Amino acid sequence: MSEPEETRAGGTAATEAAPVFKLDGVTKRFGGVVAVEGVGFDVRPGEVHALVGENGAGKSTLMKIVDGLYSPDEGVLEVGGEAASFSSPRDAEASGIAMIPQELDLFPELSVAENLFVGRKRPRTRWGGLDWEAMRVEASKKLEALGVSLDPTSAVKRLSTAEQQIVAIARALVGETRAVIMDEPTSALTGREARQLFGIIGDLTAGDVGVVYISHRLEEIFEISDRITVLRDGHHIKTAPASELDAEELVRLMVGRPLNELFTRSESSPGETALEVKGLTRDGQFEGVDLALRRGEIVGLAGLVGAGRTELAQSIFGIRRPDSGEIFVEGEEVRIHSPQNAMEKGIFYVPEERRSQGLILPFSIKNNITLSILDRVSRLGFVSRSERGIADRFMGDLSIRGAEVSDPVSRLSGGNQQKVVVAKALAREPNVLLLDEPTRGVDVGAKSEIYRLMDDLAKEGKAILLISSELEEVLSMADRVLVMREGRITGEFSRGEATQEGVMTAATGGQEKGVPDDE
Amino acid sequence: MTSEARAQAAGTERGAGFRRYLRRPEAPALAFLVLLLVVFSVLSGKFLSVTNLEAILTSVAVLGIIALAVNQVVLCGEIDISTGSMLGLCAVAGGATAQSTGGFVLPLLAAVVVGALCGAINGSLVTLGRIPSIIVTLGMLYALRGVILLVTGGTWITGVPNASRFLGMGNVFGLSVPVIVLFGLFVVMEVVGRHTTWGRNVYAVGGNRRAARFAGLPTDRIRFSAFVLVGVFVGVASMIYMGRAGSVQTNTGTGLELQVVAAVVIGGTSISGGRGSSLAALTGAILIGVILNGLVLVGVPGIWQQAVLGALILLAVTTDVVRRRLVGDTV
Amino acid sequence: MSAATAVLKRLRFSRELVLLGVLIALVIVMSLLSPLFFTLGNMLNTSRYFVEVGLMALGMTLIIITGGIDLSVGSNLALVSVAIGFTFAAGLPLPLAILFGLVVGMAAGFFNSVFITFLGLHPLVVTLGTFALFQGLAYGLTGARAVSNFPPWFAYFGQAYLLGAVPGQLIIFLVAVGVVWLILSRTSFGRYVYAIGNNEEAARFSGVPIRWVKVAIYTGIGLLVAIAAVIYTSRVYTARGDVGLGLELDVISAVVLGGASIYGGSGTIAGTVLGVVIIAILRNGLLLAGVPSTWQLFILGILLLVAVFLNEFFRKGEE
Repeated sequence: MSEPEETRAGGTAATEAAPVFKLDGVTKRFGGVVAVEGVGFDVRPGEVHALVGENGAGKSTLMKIVDGLYSPDEGVLEVGGEAASFSSPRDAEASGIAMIPQELDLFPELSVAENLFVGRKRPRTRWGGLDWEAMRVEASKKLEALGVSLDPTSAVKRLSTAEQQIVAIARALVGETRAVIMDEPTSALTGREARQLFGIIGDLTAGDVGVVYISHRLEEIFEISDRITVLRDGHHIKTAPASELDAEELVRLMVGRPLNELFTRSESSPGETALEVKGLTRDGQFEGVDLALRRGEIVGLAGLVGAGRTELAQSIFGIRRPDSGEIFVEGEEVRIHSPQNAMEKGIFYVPEERRSQGLILPFSIKNNITLSILDRVSRLGFVSRSERGIADRFMGDLSIRGAEVSDPVSRLSGGNQQKVVVAKALAREPNVLLLDEPTRGVDVGAKSEIYRLMDDLAKEGKAILLISSELEEVLSMADRVLVMREGRITGEFSRGEATQEGVMTAATGGQEKGVPDDE
Repeated sequence: MTSEARAQAAGTERGAGFRRYLRRPEAPALAFLVLLLVVFSVLSGKFLSVTNLEAILTSVAVLGIIALAVNQVVLCGEIDISTGSMLGLCAVAGGATAQSTGGFVLPLLAAVVVGALCGAINGSLVTLGRIPSIIVTLGMLYALRGVILLVTGGTWITGVPNASRFLGMGNVFGLSVPVIVLFGLFVVMEVVGRHTTWGRNVYAVGGNRRAARFAGLPTDRIRFSAFVLVGVFVGVASMIYMGRAGSVQTNTGTGLELQVVAAVVIGGTSISGGRGSSLAALTGAILIGVILNGLVLVGVPGIWQQAVLGALILLAVTTDVVRRRLVGDTV
Repeated sequence: MSAATAVLKRLRFSRELVLLGVLIALVIVMSLLSPLFFTLGNMLNTSRYFVEVGLMALGMTLIIITGGIDLSVGSNLALVSVAIGFTFAAGLPLPLAILFGLVVGMAAGFFNSVFITFLGLHPLVVTLGTFALFQGLAYGLTGARAVSNFPPWFAYFGQAYLLGAVPGQLIIFLVAVGVVWLILSRTSFGRYVYAIGNNEEAARFSGVPIRWVKVAIYTGIGLLVAIAAVIYTSRVYTARGDVGLGLELDVISAVVLGGASIYGGSGTIAGTVLGVVIIAILRNGLLLAGVPSTWQLFILGILLLVAVFLNEFFRKGEE
């Protein structure tokens, strides 16, 4: 295992080498929305080039262009010094570029070995049939090269997320790979598993493979990358050696203005307990969770993706059924079997997946806003015309801009769509709001509006649970911060006590920088 | 690493092998088949005789052969419910050829070509036309029946020469030809499913279409060819049918498409694609044959066949769901 | 409202306008083919035949909008028909037998919905199974016999004329059209149906009672099938187990022809009614023009394929 120091040294040596691939002046539009504009980017052999930016900054779009999923409207992609145009990931792979997307493209029913060979030339026996033994051996070899031992005959669906991730990396390395793009690879990994991944990345760069590393975790980025490129709102902001940047500077570049201007949080004076959860457990997802939300309070719930935060919130909302534990609303024990139950008790969950879980995209803005209150605005089952007035009011209150109330919600920008999801929740007049990554993929302007709205809602006496992977957001908005790791609450901090380091330590299981690996 | 795989590797080899076998898609159906054989043998002395067993296998040959091919379509994540009418049309083509030329090669060729053509139409409408396969094949089920009535004018094809009935009536080494063809094609499909790229790609396309496309698999071509395969197998099966019946009626194959789908899902191939085996399709077909045959032997009137079939389909898909919930298999 | 949205609104009506155009063209062609066709008597008579398909198509529209399908409607019709005929033959007073038939139809629909909602099975597989099951039950329970000694008043449902020339069942159909149209376009239930079809997950997160809605629509189509079965049994004056074969094709074709996307999310009652009428006229016209009935299945099968293809083709064009 190479030490990060060595990796960095190798990277410096590589600066003279010609880039593996290079983007120049790339622009991509979706309808009227510009995703990236005039962006340049390159990765050299043997370096880790981190690509950072807020959600919606254009990182994924840019990398999907490299991977052949999108074709750029303007600009060029050069691979090995020659102009290239890929029309599929297959083309990219043929040129030695592999992408490991956040949602792994594996075949769950097939074995580990076979997953490495789908779509590729497979070894054959003398008789012309497929040589399964050779595939198993080859797969074992690839996996061992990555420092892991997995049973190559095991079905992928039986593996843990981290193991599946490793299979995806192994799959990416079957061909002659010269560059690997990793999109938030550690988002679902524990601290130990992430360490293992960094070891693998070190091996890759030692073998002169270029790595593009997309991540939100600043510590990781400074630990493993040689260069950093910052994108903001689809524009290229800066590319610099990692050694020339620090965390504060990086955040400023990403956000575009000092953080304190983005957030709004008034003094709070929390009232009575609105929601209390005791010993809530759902096997394999979270265990023994105790949690209390008071009126007028914003409680941040931090942790890594996969820590069980979304599952917890969805269980409180009745989407998933907990195996054990109790839920109290206003001091009374309640049973919640469905979202309808939860809404009756004054609880509303704003989901993380806006397009698939939050909105009916072909529906009008009005029909989306009133979807959860149809029972209230209907008489004898017939929808009354008063729904129009309600929709109008929320469009004004939340300053939803860009379309008429009767237009399809799909016509709005991401930020305004998010406001419609929040409006739908508020129309129900809940006492408890569970917000899951409410500013994900939202532009900075809309972000600041959503923060102001959260502050107003807390002032009105609503209890808010803010699930967020952006530490700054949690630290700036929450009165109290809870941290979840592997399904358990592992830390609680008051507003004064909460620091980036403290929260991260609780979230990752105490593997701080400088602590030597046990490898 | 705390994966099941590791734990399993550490466990005793025999126990692990057995557990692995139980995970195979056709395991429940196979166990059920064995149980049923025992029950019917106890209930009726005539059941467990070589003659009766061969008779059962001969009677499920048509169903089994088509199920083997439709199995591939289902593995791709599609469905084909046009096989009943397709069988009728192939039989008409083969029958008409038999009447004019005799022999069994040319009629077989004619039936296979017609079948492949029908399959190609299904396949192109699904892949190029982007119409869901259930709608395509439902439309074709009726359209092809119309074609049958049109070309025959509603009259039967009778007087098929004996030489042309070889595939249905023949005996080789004391075994009936339908049984030989059924098991021959089963072996072929097992080999295709395990040892050819096409066979493996079928699983990949049905298991995760998006990932398959990203991996560069020609997903459209694979699905198209699966539909053509159904046509070819239906062509072969139609000549077995004609050989056994000696004539071709205009309603030949009516309702067969249901039995075929039932055989595939009862055998253990997942209707959502990506999981299953040729052995599953064969097991399912034999299971249906045994049940229908057994019901007759224990005195249940034939008019109940359809109801039993429907109940079996529901039972099979329900147990699949229950099994998955019990073992926590969400995919 | 801006000019752009007004234009868009009008475009949405265009699908139904196109169908109306097709209908008019069809009537003209048929009139040219057969002088008998364009007579009031024939027009009204044609309606006798589409009422049964039409009733089922109303329910199927809701099901297809939610992204589901029901292949068992034809078999259910046979089941209800024999349920009425054979309980009557066994001595039950006919009004009670009819009531029993309605209950059987709804129970069959409810049976489907239990598999679909509580076991999470695909409607396609479930209704393929019940397609065989219901038909098999209808056939097996009756031992393939028929009942036809109904009292004369039973003919009222399927053979009566109102105002001299209007078939009685046309009134039943028009009432059903009105009721289902109101439900789909004016009630929260109708809004839920569209929400489920467009994005079931988002609907669930929004508190839409998905199971309840699905149970209601599958049970509801059971009721519509049962009403159709009463009319059908009255019209042919016989209850037999082997009727209703292939009806699901007419029904699904009509709905899809009417513009409902087979992938769910869109569809209207107006479109479905037009689809039903077009198919009925096509069948009747072909019959009058002396086209052999053997052609009809063929044409219907092709029509279904063309309709789905054009639907999805135009939908892609809109995006």
